[in-house]
Order: sequence, then C-alpha cells, then structure tokens
Amino acid sequence: MSFKETDIINIVIAGTAGQGVITLKRLIEFASQKAGVKRNFGSEMHGLAQREGAISSHTRYQKELFEDDRKNLYSPLICYGDADLYICFEPIEALRRGLFASNKTSFVLNSRTIPGIMITANLESYPSLEKIKEILNGYSNEVYFMNATELSLNNFNTNQYVNLIMLGFAIPTSKIPFIEIEHYEEVIKEWLRDPDSNIKALHLGLEKGKKIINSAN
Amino acid sequence: MLGNEALVRGCLEAGVSYVSQYPGTPTSDIGEYFHQVLIDSPETREFLIHHWAVNEAVATSSCAGAAWTGCRSLNPMKHVGLNVASDALSVIALNGPNPGAMVVSIGSDPGSLGSHQEQNERFYAWMLHLPTFEPHTPQECKDWIKLAFELSEKYDLVMNFRMSTRSAHSRGFVKLEPLVKGKAKGEFIRNIPKFNSLPPHAINNHIRLYERIEKLREAIPSLGVNKIIPGENKIGIITSGMPFGYTMEALNQLNLNDVPVLKLGMIYPLNYEEIVDFIEKLEKVIIIEELEPFLEMKIAEIAHDHKINVEIIGEQYFPKYNEFSTGLVATCLANIFNKPPNEQMKKAIDYFNSYKEIIPSRFPTFCSGCPERATLYAILKATNHLENTIISGDIGCYVMSFFPPQQCSDLVICMSGGISAAIGMSTKTDQKVIAMIGDSTFFHTGMAPLAEAVGYNSNVLLIIFENSWTAMTGHQNDVLRYLLNKGFSIEDICKAIGVSWLRVEDSYKPKKLVKSIEEALETDGFKVIIIKRECGLQAHRWRMDQIRGLEREGKKVQDVSYFIGGCQMCYECARVLSCPAIRRVETDGIEEMQIDQDRCIRCGVCYEICPNGAIRKSIINLFAEEVPFREL
Repeated sequence: MSFKETDIINIVIAGTAGQGVITLKRLIEFASQKAGVKRNFGSEMHGLAQREGAISSHTRYQKELFEDDRKNLYSPLICYGDADLYICFEPIEALRRGLFASNKTSFVLNSRTIPGIMITANLESYPSLEKIKEILNGYSNEVYFMNATELSLNNFNTNQYVNLIMLGFAIPTSKIPFIEIEHYEEVIKEWLRDPDSNIKALHLGLEKGKKIINSAN
Repeated sequence: MLGNEALVRGCLEAGVSYVSQYPGTPTSDIGEYFHQVLIDSPETREFLIHHWAVNEAVATSSCAGAAWTGCRSLNPMKHVGLNVASDALSVIALNGPNPGAMVVSIGSDPGSLGSHQEQNERFYAWMLHLPTFEPHTPQECKDWIKLAFELSEKYDLVMNFRMSTRSAHSRGFVKLEPLVKGKAKGEFIRNIPKFNSLPPHAINNHIRLYERIEKLREAIPSLGVNKIIPGENKIGIITSGMPFGYTMEALNQLNLNDVPVLKLGMIYPLNYEEIVDFIEKLEKVIIIEELEPFLEMKIAEIAHDHKINVEIIGEQYFPKYNEFSTGLVATCLANIFNKPPNEQMKKAIDYFNSYKEIIPSRFPTFCSGCPERATLYAILKATNHLENTIISGDIGCYVMSFFPPQQCSDLVICMSGGISAAIGMSTKTDQKVIAMIGDSTFFHTGMAPLAEAVGYNSNVLLIIFENSWTAMTGHQNDVLRYLLNKGFSIEDICKAIGVSWLRVEDSYKPKKLVKSIEEALETDGFKVIIIKRECGLQAHRWRMDQIRGLEREGKKVQDVSYFIGGCQMCYECARVLSCPAIRRVETDGIEEMQIDQDRCIRCGVCYEICPNGAIRKSIINLFAEEVPFREL
C-alpha cells in the first residue's frame, strides 16, 4: 500500500517497562525530522509504567500539510481503529492496545513473552502465541512474529537491542513511509550510545524482517 | 520537544532565574531539564537556581520570596501538590508577585496516569484568582509560558500554566527564539501593606486583586491565545488544551467541517465580549472539557448575564471522569449531531473488547530486589497474612502495595495521610495498626503526625522506608539527598521527638525483620521500625558501576548468582514475595521456578526465605574482590 504525502501516519509502539519503547518512538520522530516531515505530534507514557508496567507510545506524522487546516494532524493520540502499524516488543501488549488497530494495520511482534508476577504466581494465565496470532489474524492479514530478544542475545549478548531489531523488522511493511534507512542511521550516530551496534541491530532486523514478510506474501 | 521540555525552554527565553518544586508526575522532568541545563551550560549557574523543595508549600513560598526581590520564578507542581501549596498560594496571589513575576505550572492528570486520583484542580483558578493558560502543542507551551511571565509582571498576578500528563509528555516540533539571561540578584523593597495581607491590608489587597484581574480580562483579545476556527454550522464548540486536538480530528472524521470552534488558550479569566461574539450567532454551544464542568458553568453564566438565547451543553454528553481521546469525542459528537458512529472504530472496540478477558494484567509493581517488597513479605509473615491487622499506606513506591499478590495496603489518602489515619484508627479498634511512610514523604509532611503519634502514644507500628531516594518520581537529586549526605538521620529525629520503641532493620535480612515486627505488634504504644536499605534500582546501578570500574582496572571481582534447583512449587517466592525476576517455567511437563539472571540484582532475599532450601547461591571467583551493596 502506498501513502499520499498528506496522509497522517499512525504507529503504535507497545511493550513493557525498560524495553526501549520511548527510545524507539523518539528515534522514529527524529528520523522523520531529518526526512523533512512537516508535522509531528506523538505521545509518550512516563512515570508509573517504569515499574514493570505495560507501556505504549503513539507516533504520528504528516509529510505535507493539507491546505484545509481542519484535515491536518491535531492530536498526539491515535484514534481507535486508525493505526497503520503496531510494533510490539511483547506479544500480549498487541492485544492490550488492540483498540487502535484497523483491518489495514500491519502487526510486527517480538515473540518472546514477559509473563509478569501474576503468571508466575499462577493466579492468572498467559494465552499461547498461537492464540494471540489467531486473534490478530481474525482482524488483520498482516501479522508477523520474530524472536527479537533471541536475536539480540545471540548477537550482542544482551537484550538491549530488541527495539532497534524491531524497527528493522517493521520497515519492510512499508508502513513507516518517507523515512529512509539513512535518516535512522544519522539519528543513531548523533543520539545513541554505541551507534555501531545499534546500526547493526537495525540491519539484522531489516534482513530477517524482509525474509519473514516476503515469504508470507 | 516534549511539552515539558518546551516549557523549560520558554522559561529560559523569558529570563527565569529561580525554580522550586517538589517532584511529582507529570512535572518531575521539568526540574530534570533545568538540572541538565545547569550541567550542560555552566554559565547559567551565574543566575539560575533550581531547588528540589521539601514540599509544595515550601516551594511556593520560596518562589514568592524570589519574585519579591524582583526576579522571575517558576513553581511547578502536580495537581494534588496544589492542595498542599494552596495555603501559601492564597496569600501570595492576594499580595501579587511584583516587583518580579511568578508562574505556577500545574500538572493535571485526567485519567490518573501517574497519580492516585484525578481531581479537577481548575477550580482553584476561581478561588485564588489565578489566570490560567492551557496549551495544546509544545510550541504553545514554549511561547505561552513566556507570555505568562510578561503578564505576571505587568499585572502583578500569579499566573497558572496548566499542563496535563498528556500535554507534558507529547512531542512535536518547536521553533526556538534566543535565550535571555535571568536576574542573578534582586532587592527586596519594604512595602508593609502589599506583603502583609492581614486586616486592613488583606481587604485592600483583595480589592486590588479584582482590579488586576479585570485589567487582564480586558486585555485577553489582544494576547492572541484564543482562536476561532470559523464555520457556518449553527452548532458551535468551545474547548481548550488537549481536548481541542481530539475535537478537531473528531470533527474531520465525522465530516463536520462546518462547525465553528472557539479554542481558548486562557481558561480563566474569560473575556465577556469574546465569548458573547462567538455564542450569540449560535443555536447550540457544546463545551468540550475533561473532568467536571468548569468552562461550561462560566459560559452558561455569561450567556445568562447577557440574555443570549443559546443552549449550552457538555457534561450531559461527555464523561466527567477519565482522560478524553479522539474516539471518545467522536462518539459523543456523533450522538449530538445524530451521525452514525465511525464503523472502523466501532469494529476495533467491539473486536478487541471481546478478548479482554484473556489478557493477563500487567500493573506496575516493585522492581526486582526492592527493599519495600521484602518488607511487605516480612509484614505478611509476621501477621499471618494480615490477620486482625490494618495497613495504612501512603504515597511513594509503596503506594503499589495494594496490588496482588501481596495486597498489603488497606488504604491510602495523601502524603503522610497514612500515619495520621492510623492515629485515629488506633483509638477506635483493637486491630493491630501498621502505618508505612517513605523517607521523602517523611520530610514532606511526615514529621508532624509523627510528633502527634508520640504525644498520644498511639498504638501504632510505623514503618519508615529509608531508601535514600525519592524513588517513585525518578530519583531526583533532591533535598533528601543533601540531608542524608550531611549525616542527617531519621533515627536521630525519631529519638529527638521522643520515640521510645525504635529499631533499625534491613529488609534484605527478612527473618530478623519478621521477628522485630512480631515483637513490635506485641508491644502497646507507639513503635517505629526504620528499614534502612537503598532503593534496589539505584543500588544495582551503583554496584554495577563499581564492578565495571574494577574490571577496567583489570581486577577480578566475585561473581554472585542465585539459581533454583529441586523447586517444590510452594509459591513462597512467587506469591508472598513475588519478585519479578522469578518466572514459572515448564520443561518436559515439569513445572518449576527459575531466576532470570538478567533481571536479578542479587539481593538474596529469595535465597533467605525459600522454605525448602531450593534457592542456591553460587560464587565464582570466591577469593576475588567482593562488591557488596553500599550501606546507608
């Protein structure tokens, strides 16, 4: 699917505390600025969510503005049923934030679960990955999984690069239009610690993502 | 820039030279940005001072003090902080901030995204006569806070810059203007009638306050902060702040692009002519605002006073609780305009709500290795799972104590409300009463109820968490740190006030702590147990830095880890302690607990409490250097 320059692009990034949701959100926003995007308005979740909680962010941008100002981007929150893309660092978080999805939404999900204390205590249960996939597939045709945590651990010996791998994974869905790989790389170099590893993680995710997404279509 | 970041930039462009605040979401990062400025640009230290105050009332009066020497001061606080500061602010607003200027920046929190409740503090604007801005974009945050300082100085009024969690933490492009150096030193000029609001001056200052407000009211149309988006429809909308954004997108979605919208940048005071001009051409006006109707009441009053025949609606169509969203505003507007609801939206809501039941909860909880979690474990053990026991909670990380599986807090009121409630309760019940308070809350307002509990020898056990950080709001380098670094001791304060039953314990030694709690609960009268153990997050960061430093020097360091073998699945670690570093796994049909090595901070509490000895400690490089957590 191709976007018009005046389209409002809506991206939901969801995960759990400490996974780098806000970092990825800002990285996309900074890269969109490099790409000459005219308006950018998105919302982050701070505070309480840091403590093992569920966390989500909305990234929204518009490459060019409509002449009729009423049609432009005004809210930092996506409307229910209006997201183009979900990047989920933890699979169940896609369902928790599902209200923003439409049938044109692409979902890219990290398949590694973080169950939480109620699951460990056996007081609640965590649905199977198959069940999560089935529910999302009941709504959208584009649902892709990758074990980004494993990829990060295998390549970097830490789970700190899950967010950049997931960005790479999301790019082949074409749902982050008008931003080129070079824009991300520029921002990473200017803004993140250890840019080489982050760029490597981005490309790892991109290559693996291309395979997963192309073989599905 | 984030809204808060833009607000700080605006202050620096306005020449602000004094900032004082007690941290609280969503305003904590305002102070963090100022601190960063002071670090990154050392030349600002010549004129700019930022204080983390002991509480909001102290911060507010400090800011007034700075303004009264002729400087520009900023006083950020969260919405409930205004309850604490209102006593001081009621007088300061009366006196006026001149010769300087003062802006309070309130972080409201519709939806309780980072607070214990979502009170609509806008009504303080009426009560205390605080002219109030409500920005929508980060650009407005930056531009309007500058304007707020100009108006404060010009009209001798304390201005209110009302942010919300959403506006504070939304990010957009901001056009910058040059920075202006603030005043390093001013001078206080004696003016007894202005600064002593007691009779007869109090009445005169009240009269003067009305005069100042009326002058500002007249000037509002020239400020350029209120804006009309024109349209031909006979139904119009008045809104402000974040709901303006939701409204515009909702109107576009519903193809209602002929509806005129009045966007108010200043919600108090209102300019009568401006409101009358907008509403007199309309048959119906919809007021879109979060929480209780504030604008709606004033606009209805203006319509009534000016005999305008227009229907004013809002609260009967929109919820008076929780945060708004584009979807919610669109649903309410569809209802008012008799439009079919947005199909795509309805489909998403119906579909995903039908699977709500299978989504496991993920609420905020204590971090791995948190000394407060370990203390709750000890309380549960010492009281046989809270048998005949009441836990009076308070504000801090331990506000999360009520969450399952520990469920170790029966009530919470406000900063230091827990110990006060315990005093009253203990006179009226024979149940055991335990109150909890953290060190930052202790300094905030906790010492007064402590003195009362000692005075009446209340039959209460007070547990003070001394973790040496204002942890909940993000570990600010605040006055608590300075006090503790100077050797200030909560133990000494308790002794000086006259606490006779006092123990200092460490929750990383849970068995000893259980005994102490048992003994305390068997003793009549007022008892205090201080839990002295650094916040796990900070302790872990510090320890890892030490280890990395030693390793860089080429030194070998002891490598401690905990692992589980022969787990009996008794759930002691998962349900009574419930550390998030422990997870339940199934291998070959056998269930057992496992420790996530990347999340475990090596506090050793699970190792101490496992009733089956199934949690083992392993030390690699036994004879190498040991790096323990630092002692407080």
